Amino acid sequence: MTPELQKTGRIGLLVPSSNTTVEAEFYRALPRGVTVHAARLFLTRIAPESILKMVEDMETQAKLLATADVDVIVLGATAPSFLKGLGYDRELIAKIEAATGRSATTTSTALVQAIQHLGARRVALGSAYDEKVNAIAKAFLEASGIEVVDVKGLALVDNLVVGRLGPDSAYKLALGLEHSKADAIVLSCTNWQTLDAIERIERETGKPVISTSQASIWAALRMLDYRHGIEGYGKLLRELAPAGQTQTA
Amino acid sequence: MYGWRGRIGLLVPSINTTMETEFWRIAPHGVSVHSARIAGGRHGTPEELRSMENASKKAAEEVAMVEPDVVVYGCTSGSFFEGPEWNKKICEQLSAITKAPTVTTAGAMAACLMAGGYKKVDVVTPYVELTNERLKQFLKTYGIDVVKLGTFDMLDMFDHAKIQPEEIYQKVKEITTPEAEAVFVACTQLRALEVADMLERDLGKPVYTAVQASAWQAYEAMGVDPKIDDCGSLLRQLSDGGARRRTPLRRSA
Repeated sequence: MTPELQKTGRIGLLVPSSNTTVEAEFYRALPRGVTVHAARLFLTRIAPESILKMVEDMETQAKLLATADVDVIVLGATAPSFLKGLGYDRELIAKIEAATGRSATTTSTALVQAIQHLGARRVALGSAYDEKVNAIAKAFLEASGIEVVDVKGLALVDNLVVGRLGPDSAYKLALGLEHSKADAIVLSCTNWQTLDAIERIERETGKPVISTSQASIWAALRMLDYRHGIEGYGKLLRELAPAGQTQTA
Repeated sequence: MYGWRGRIGLLVPSINTTMETEFWRIAPHGVSVHSARIAGGRHGTPEELRSMENASKKAAEEVAMVEPDVVVYGCTSGSFFEGPEWNKKICEQLSAITKAPTVTTAGAMAACLMAGGYKKVDVVTPYVELTNERLKQFLKTYGIDVVKLGTFDMLDMFDHAKIQPEEIYQKVKEITTPEAEAVFVACTQLRALEVADMLERDLGKPVYTAVQASAWQAYEAMGVDPKIDDCGSLLRQLSDGGARRRTPLRRSA
């Protein structure tokens, strides 16, 4: 393919320093021509005090990404972007945009948009988190107008441990959710390997699956105005192409 | 789990848009790349290049948290500018912070040319004159003479990525001399990896690049054969006889 015919773009990704998954999942799903440039924010534990500290470094790191002339900046961290409830993600976006002059989003923002995009009003939530963080996640979704019909988490707080899990972990947890009343299944935590589990869960439950990494990729591509469906990672990315348009992988 | 075979902690100058992309492109199944950005300007002035040494320590602290198997300091001029001792100091500092062996691009440049036994080489860079002189001095201390140096002569490091692979191909072909046993294309922001293999085939001599040399040392350090056969002879060498036969690199230049 000649470069002129290829849609290109640069995504700046703010990654919690101990995250070993989200860069890999972006690279796997993104089309050739769209590149990812990462910067890291200190985070070891998925706990409120660690997360607040992480946000302090966010503007500095976002500015570093801006020097690479990225088109969009994604805060690729779920818990840090919903921690203080509804509207906190918007505050973080405003901070990043003011510091860099680039369009920005967060994983939590992308998650809510993806759920709404699929027309889901009730979701079953599976996560890597403990009860405390799950309660915050549930409150954030409900404040965003999304009913959470069931919540289950792996009760993990050590982020490196989350990164060592294989895709079976997300698959098993998702199938264990009470999802009969849910319109969609949500898998939360960008350090949790989910991409490989999404299609299997969708096939077996008949429900669309939204993972936080997949939703972040989806939101970034939409901000770049990339509108070709991507196969293999669930309905959300497959339907990036506008309705009626022939999809290309 | 990603990176179960090897995790590369990649420190790039914040303006760099090429190296992460090329490292992911060659990463085989089971190898993951985790970046952190080194704060600094985009003009590659002596002050900026020197300041990267200190700024790289913060980036190393950030990337240390993924528990990398190898750390790569991905900037050629930022590792040769003050000479071999400075380069060694950078390696030691970053290894102390990350508890992993560290590869620098300048160290990898010297190592790959020495491994081939090349004493006379041509070099292509995007740098201005002062930086080019420092590069020649750096190689000289390893007993390597630069026969001819061709440059795009651009101070702005971000703009180095705008030089098309075709232009790099032409520049190498245009400047290389019969005396040179090998060619090295410096700068991790130059998109040279895409044309390294073609250049070797067309010129009939080794053509090594900054990103490629850094990857070569990183995979050696991890003891992983990435099985890359279209990015030049240097990376193909990693498949000769299995990566584990070689002595793993520990904190060397």
